[in-house]
Amino acid sequence: MSIIVRRIRGLINHLGKVTDAALDRQPAGRNVTVLPGDVFIVSYPKSGNTWTRFLVGNLIYQDEPVTFANVESLLPSLYVHSDQKLRKLPRILKSHDCFDPRYKTVIYIVRDPRDVLVSAYHYALKLGIIPENWGIEKIVPSLLDGTFDSGMLVNPRWGSWYDNVASWLALKDNRRFLLLRYEDMLEAPERELVKVANFLGLTVTPERLARAIRLSSADHMRGLEKLQAAKWSLTKNTRPDMAFVRKASAGTWRSELPPQAVADIEQAWGPLMATLGYELSTAATKPAEIPVFLR
Amino acid sequence: MLGALAQAGRVLTGRQIAGRGLTVFPDDVFLVSYPRSGNTWTRFLLGNLIDPNHPVTFSNIESRIPEIYFNRDRFLRQLPRPRMLKSHESFQPHYPRVIYIVRDPRDVAVSFYHHNVKARNIPDDYPMSSFVPRFIAGEFDAKFGSWRDNVLSWTVLRQGDPAFLLLRYEDMKIDPACALAKVVAFLRYCSFPGISSGADDLQRAIERSSPEQMRALEKQEAGRWVLTKGTRSDKLFVRSAISGGWRSQLDRESVARIESAWGGLMQSLGYELYSAPTATSVSHRELPS
Repeated sequence: MSIIVRRIRGLINHLGKVTDAALDRQPAGRNVTVLPGDVFIVSYPKSGNTWTRFLVGNLIYQDEPVTFANVESLLPSLYVHSDQKLRKLPRILKSHDCFDPRYKTVIYIVRDPRDVLVSAYHYALKLGIIPENWGIEKIVPSLLDGTFDSGMLVNPRWGSWYDNVASWLALKDNRRFLLLRYEDMLEAPERELVKVANFLGLTVTPERLARAIRLSSADHMRGLEKLQAAKWSLTKNTRPDMAFVRKASAGTWRSELPPQAVADIEQAWGPLMATLGYELSTAATKPAEIPVFLR
Repeated sequence: MLGALAQAGRVLTGRQIAGRGLTVFPDDVFLVSYPRSGNTWTRFLLGNLIDPNHPVTFSNIESRIPEIYFNRDRFLRQLPRPRMLKSHESFQPHYPRVIYIVRDPRDVAVSFYHHNVKARNIPDDYPMSSFVPRFIAGEFDAKFGSWRDNVLSWTVLRQGDPAFLLLRYEDMKIDPACALAKVVAFLRYCSFPGISSGADDLQRAIERSSPEQMRALEKQEAGRWVLTKGTRSDKLFVRSAISGGWRSQLDRESVARIESAWGGLMQSLGYELYSAPTATSVSHRELPS
């Protein structure tokens, strides 16, 4: 590419950032101002964060069901709104950031990384950030070492699955911290939602729990997505033939992930996976180092 | 609206402070530590070693080994590569190469107390015994977390990684040549293959970065350096530069407080406890069931 083209591209990019700043469109991200009382719903991407937002929102807001059209106003994402805008919105915030010492109240969702990578692969196709003919094995290495770089799917600042999960688990003391497993939420949503309600100090009735779970079911969310995909920042301008709310199940890696990819993931993250109750399918070829905080 | 316009102006003119939005390059080396743990001293040592022909001063340090909080991203992007940058962030997964400096938190507490007096955050007669609980809670410079948040996040995630070097301030004080040799070996592997490891060069860098030398420079340049500008000129940034000062400066109660909060982590870093070991285990080893 000639230097002139590069210069022009750089200038366009720069002016775009200026416009974003002037229109107050720069997402807050890690520069968010943390206020006392903030609650953060944190996870690595593709681990059930949106579902959790629906569940929590439907538990809190009795008159207004959560939809893709209002979720960013009711339980906003750090990566959609500017810091200024977020100050005017309810402060149960979605985040994918690695450990941030300023977060004092955290609901952290963890999901089997083998399923996370399968989900990330499908979302990458939906976003059109990898070629259609790419197999899943092509993106596994960069997801493993945390270098896969795409604004919407994953970001090196969020770390790899391991960095993200381990950083929060190691530092969970001295803050209010609730760990949820995506798989437990699938198995017994009511039981897990009660934990959330207790954590947030909400008094709930069985009816209220049932309503929240019903309005956040995969079927219900798929129906909403069909109607509202064009209005939601995470699905806008993505392939309409692929859904954001996909299978919403556990264990699909068994049929979708090539054996080599499974082995690579388990080799890299096995001990942490095992500690979280994710059974390993391969005997690691050499015992991976057990993380300090797990010993 | 005004905030947005001001921000647009900063973006337009490239005056955004880098901080957490810093553009990171794959060959960057980060000097990371909790505040008051010897980061500036290390910057002087390494700056003097990397370019022995131009001694480091407080006037040129921000263009040699700049810190990310007072410099603009655009300025930092234009520095010659590989860059070496100073940061106080807790764990950052995208920092590719990291030298992490840790210091006995009892000494950090003392140093941080004086630093906050100098910065006019607390009055001269503020009781140390009131300061310490606030220090433990991470109230000062809250974005960096508490000492424990900062140290634990880096050591848990990166210790054993070939692109991570853990340095103890105390080891640097006892035998700076030995500690510096370790850093040089690391830098030769990471980004700076040409850095000198000759004994004479190490010795010269150590002399040029001695507390006496740095104090003399501070006297001349305090008004020009971003970290000392506007702070009380009757108090020095380069203070005692010793380890173990807590023994005379901290009351028993404060020592016990720090040790009961962080004893396990302190011991694992080789900091002997003064009070009887408490029942506090290294709580970070436990995971939720």
